[in-house]
Amino acid sequence: MARSVVINPPKMCQPMGAILAYMGVHGCVPLVHGSQGCSTYPRYNIARYFRESAEVAASSLGEDAAVYGGAKNLTEAIKNIKSRLNPAAIGICTTCMSETIGDDVKLIAKKALTDDTMKIFPASTPSYVGTHLTGYDNALRMLVETLDVKGKPNNKINIITGIINPGDIREIKNMLRLMNVQSIFLSDISETLDTPILPGGHKPVLPDGGTSLSDIADSANSLGTIAICRTAGSAATYLKNKFNVPSVLDAAPIGVINTDRFVQNICKLSGAPIPEEIIRERGRLIDSMVDVHHYMFGRKVVIFGDPDLVSAIVRFCAEAGMTPTVAMTATKQKDFAPDIKAVNSEYRTDTQILEGTDLYEFHEVVKTHGAELILGNSKGKDIADDEDVPLVRFGFPVYDRVGVYRYPIMGYNGSIYLLDQMTNAILGHKYDPNKLHQ
Amino acid sequence: MTTILPECDIPIPQRKPHIVCHDPENMVLPMCNVQTVPGDMTERGCTFSGCRGVVGGPVKDVIHLVHGPIGCAYYTWGTRRNLSDTKLHRKYCFSTDLTEDSVVFGGAKKLYNSILESHELFPEGKAVFVYSTCVVGLIGDDTEAICKQAQEKTGIPVVPFHCEGFRGVSQSLGHHIANRTIFEKVVGTKEPEVTTPYDMCIIGEFNIDGDAWIIRPLFERMGVRVLTIFTGNSPYCDLPVMHRAKLNIVQCQRSSTYIAKMIQDKYSIPYINVSLFGMKQTAEGLRDVGKFFHLEENAEKVIAEELAKYQPGIDHYRKRLEGKKCFIYQGGPRAWHWMRPMQELGIETILTATTFGHKDDYEKIMEKAKPGHICIDNPNALEIEEYLVKLKPDFFIGGLKEKYLTYKLGIPFINGHSYEEGPYAGFEGFVNFARDIDVAVNSPVWKFINQPLKVK
Repeated sequence: MARSVVINPPKMCQPMGAILAYMGVHGCVPLVHGSQGCSTYPRYNIARYFRESAEVAASSLGEDAAVYGGAKNLTEAIKNIKSRLNPAAIGICTTCMSETIGDDVKLIAKKALTDDTMKIFPASTPSYVGTHLTGYDNALRMLVETLDVKGKPNNKINIITGIINPGDIREIKNMLRLMNVQSIFLSDISETLDTPILPGGHKPVLPDGGTSLSDIADSANSLGTIAICRTAGSAATYLKNKFNVPSVLDAAPIGVINTDRFVQNICKLSGAPIPEEIIRERGRLIDSMVDVHHYMFGRKVVIFGDPDLVSAIVRFCAEAGMTPTVAMTATKQKDFAPDIKAVNSEYRTDTQILEGTDLYEFHEVVKTHGAELILGNSKGKDIADDEDVPLVRFGFPVYDRVGVYRYPIMGYNGSIYLLDQMTNAILGHKYDPNKLHQ
Repeated sequence: MTTILPECDIPIPQRKPHIVCHDPENMVLPMCNVQTVPGDMTERGCTFSGCRGVVGGPVKDVIHLVHGPIGCAYYTWGTRRNLSDTKLHRKYCFSTDLTEDSVVFGGAKKLYNSILESHELFPEGKAVFVYSTCVVGLIGDDTEAICKQAQEKTGIPVVPFHCEGFRGVSQSLGHHIANRTIFEKVVGTKEPEVTTPYDMCIIGEFNIDGDAWIIRPLFERMGVRVLTIFTGNSPYCDLPVMHRAKLNIVQCQRSSTYIAKMIQDKYSIPYINVSLFGMKQTAEGLRDVGKFFHLEENAEKVIAEELAKYQPGIDHYRKRLEGKKCFIYQGGPRAWHWMRPMQELGIETILTATTFGHKDDYEKIMEKAKPGHICIDNPNALEIEEYLVKLKPDFFIGGLKEKYLTYKLGIPFINGHSYEEGPYAGFEGFVNFARDIDVAVNSPVWKFINQPLKVK
């Protein structure tokens, strides 16, 4: 991109991702060390997507901190959270401000801890480096760096999810259950950001669910780690380097081949066979693809979002006979272009790769290629309207439709759901109803 | 003693002066407009959000360029429901996307280029508003000089707002900065093509979910010419002429009295406060304006027409809502704007709170409060939860961040920040408001919470 100005960026800053990683830890309170906006804005985004309350503390840095540093505020914040909530842990995210004024958060946090009944994760997440995905990765690595202890082998597999939906996590868990493989999720928002209303309106102080600190500590003793979002892979690399836990950083399990790879990776690390039910699920996905191939063949689809999800969806669209014409991500990730080039050569497609750019540029390129379907988050709405094509919503955040976080797009079952959504969008958009009677 | 320390605050007694139980014999106002207790789970935002999100953001045909790393621009992209009849200000998000290089070497060049490029790509942008975020203040970019240079180059106004997030104690300072910047750099830079004896500005009306589209015609029907709405659905060209109004009325008296005062001081234009919510207060606002312009009869005519049309709706909902009790927690003025309208529906407000209210906001609350009314300054999530559980209101009017907490407790909720299905202002809007309260309170969805599943 030749411009200086960024117009319509589908990316957020590090604290956003770090908060999501911390929210998948049982009893962990995220604490943003910065101005109050840096906690309020991510909270707002989480609340409006998941339709859940998202409690995030702030150290409320002001002008005095700009001059004298933020140690006093951070120390007081830690003390107050501990005395009022007594959480299992506090997950600190730094910000532009605290990083620029140069607070030594690790040292301040260490001094603030008066006993070891509570853990502190002091992740460095300045907003001027990377994106929300960097923040997620940094916080996640900080979890394992802080907690992991070598002990007895636990016969489990670590799954690093990246920023995916509660529905996806539940589907991945379901596959592991079918394969009879035990797991540790790093981390797990499937319960904490999809909470029930309990009888009588009883609400726990901190949400139920999330990965426990002891499970995170135990991840050093697992059979291996599979990162299904490679942008979140540094914790896997850390576990491999420090504790010799084998690590597999592979494509997100969306579509036939990528889900196959996930299953194969599980089998390889755990020695588990592929159960009949998984084969039947896979068969249902293929059945669903066969059912709709007349509708979907050659359909021009354009996709934007986080790189792991986009490249996996590009492959799936190609598998279903569609023609992905543009794949865009605002975050640079080294596997993104090779993934898509591989699909291009296998399926003789010519998907244009846009990396590290914005939705303004994406839209310009989409106009030149034409599109029949857009896949992306709610920020794609205006492009879809301008081009008069349907938008199938996936990714974070989707705030203009309900429930997207509840449903999986991963695994064989999730892929079926995604394909059905795409097909129904095509059928629902100016498709001749006379052709739908079969 | 009228200040209270809730159980959740026992470890942080600094919160005590912020929470008051109203006692008319011994009136105390909550301590306010001071730094938040670090780590107390505040709901406050920052100075940037008050400036970019609230006051500057609604101006519909300017390029809102956020100078800083990406987050602040993203989070203010189309989030606040400040509607307009054009798309530029909500559809597009402009950012200099500062990265580590700029933090080390400065972001001046990037800002300058960004202004020029935005202008080139979006010539329909009548001005560029440049908002500084935390890091810009810390690295010390001279945004004044850059904007001046860019203004000369582009030929359109380029206005820098020094609204770094860490300044001040809440978003409130951001409102003030936006007011002052627009007053100093924009107001008075042009003369209106024509003036009339009935020119008026509506100040502090941000067209949330279409409020301004309800309010403006009420005054126009009276024969008043609305010169400018500051800033809901406002084109840039309406701002420079504000100094030629004969009267200003101020709806949001927290975020925007500043500019009304500045205009009064410099141009001797009076302003009056209005609360254009609820039937009675809206009628009062129209009458006050009618009196000023000697258009009393016109005001009465509009009021009569509106009441004939909308009072039956209010009477209908009153029957369904009478005797209910509510909490109102808003940023500032809406907490007290809505206390009297609730009475019109037979609803008592038993607790009010504001995120960034000042002394005058709390005075206005206490004028309307009954003995025993609880008032909280800058409440945090734990305090809100404790009072919801303790006092069990029939419903809560708050913002999105409290919404889902309230739902989990089984308590009906109305989003008062961006509304459920607004607009809520004026006579017509109040019927919408009453309808949304009725929907919240009387929906069957709540009954299952207290019907647990058991083996029969």
